[in-house]
Amino acid sequence: MAFLERSTKNTENRYWYPEENTFPVSNRYTTGVAGQRFFGELKDNARITGTRCHSCQVTFVPARMFCERCFARLDDWLDVGSEGTVFSYTVAYVNRDGSAKPEPAIIAAVRVADGILVHRLLGCNAGEVTIGMKVQAVFRPEAERTGSILDISHFRPV
Amino acid sequence: MNRVAIVGVGCSRLGSTSRDVSYREMIFEAAVKCYEDAGGIHPQDIDAFVASSEDFMEGISIADEYVPDQLGAVLKPVQSITGDSLQGLASAMMHIQTGQMDLVVASSFSKASNVQHYENVVSYACDPVTVRPLGENPYFIAGLEMQRYLYETGTSEAHCAQVVAENKYNALFNPLAVYGAKTDIEQVLASPQLFSPLKYQDIAHHADGAVVVLLASERKARELAKKPVWIKGIGWATDTPNLDSRQDGWGDAVYARLAARQAYKMAGITSPRHEICFAEIDDTFSYKQLQHLEALNICARGEAGKLLCQGEFSRQGGFPVNMSGGSLGVGYLHEANGLYKLAEVVWQLRGEAGRRQLDGVKTGLAFAWRGIPTATGVAVILSNLE
Ligand SMILES: [Zn+2]
Repeated sequence: MAFLERSTKNTENRYWYPEENTFPVSNRYTTGVAGQRFFGELKDNARITGTRCHSCQVTFVPARMFCERCFARLDDWLDVGSEGTVFSYTVAYVNRDGSAKPEPAIIAAVRVADGILVHRLLGCNAGEVTIGMKVQAVFRPEAERTGSILDISHFRPV
Repeated sequence: MNRVAIVGVGCSRLGSTSRDVSYREMIFEAAVKCYEDAGGIHPQDIDAFVASSEDFMEGISIADEYVPDQLGAVLKPVQSITGDSLQGLASAMMHIQTGQMDLVVASSFSKASNVQHYENVVSYACDPVTVRPLGENPYFIAGLEMQRYLYETGTSEAHCAQVVAENKYNALFNPLAVYGAKTDIEQVLASPQLFSPLKYQDIAHHADGAVVVLLASERKARELAKKPVWIKGIGWATDTPNLDSRQDGWGDAVYARLAARQAYKMAGITSPRHEICFAEIDDTFSYKQLQHLEALNICARGEAGKLLCQGEFSRQGGFPVNMSGGSLGVGYLHEANGLYKLAEVVWQLRGEAGRRQLDGVKTGLAFAWRGIPTATGVAVILSNLE
């Protein structure tokens, strides 16, 4: 009850599943009732919105339709402003494919209300960033906004 | 509750690549080893099979349908768990606890060297509207986590580097380990920055391999095994997938805290540092081992780095951790990480761990994390005591 054969030469291991046999797989992702409104507010009004759960005393950012803690329906929509604080940060030296970035990029987890937005931080160098630092969202011009998290171009120090 | 024992363990050879066998042949090798380890079981005698895997990693989808043949499970009850293989173990255990089955297999594998764009697979696992559009390498999430963990606990990058040095050193004594090395804090700290404070050597490198484990009911275990190893407790938990609402889960491994609480309760453990003899704990990233040790209540928050540097978690220390070399030393086995850690604990409890054998160990802990961007952990308590 075992197989007795093994490949012993790499040059003989020719029959890979070939690269040419791969094909793109793409799909759509429905942002949902809350996502539609959240990204609509970003695009149309350059406004970051959250929804408040009054029993948990938490304002979710991005806005949600339901509270993940107590399961309540959330319908209290708030403009949470464009300012937040650095909750954590990292300096990325490589791109998604592993290649070196021409310039390292600061990526910050920014606390806005009770939520966290992960985004680029520009306008300071890595040595200047501290946890707790106040930062502000910079929006793209209206004509360039598409209803995406990238309608926020980046965050910058206040 | 019906007791469940581990009666067979099989691990294929591990490698940074594995050009000589397909992933199914690799699982076959582990299965043959497992069934022989259990005293020469034929798969016909096994009641059910649980495999753990994720789509996209194998180069095929609906991977569950590809499970049966390499385990001897054709036309048998087969189930797949999309998660770490210790989640699969929990499922296999529950099969037996129904009282309907006596022998159930848990299996998992990694053929990471065939994955051409792992970062894209992980990106695909990230939130499609809040995280993926940034277009960044998803490992930045580990950089953010590490920064927050260091900030909240006062742990240093040097403490994390010491994890790497210890685990890679331990791996030198494990013939299966791929990434054993004698290195030191300075070398690790000097390795290239990737997502600072996370550096190249803070990350466990991928390896190929398969692990198959045979579980038995108490009745069957007594019949089969000279040294049954009992599952005393198991627990698992998942934090929110939303990076925006993880709250405490950025700096603290809350999923591990909850998984351990469940496992300790089931095993009747109130003082884990003293009632458990040793552990194999997730170290996908160096800081994760320290964060997990604290969340598993082996020590208080902020203590793990200092205790590590005092030698508490080394072979001679009070609570040896990752004698196998951990994922940093053995290699990162994707969904098979958990079952490999479990296999190490079983070998130790049977006294079969070779040069890494610890003296007189009775109870061990295996803990697995599902990796970036997840917040899922599984804790298992095993013992050779009745
Ligand atoms: Zn609530």
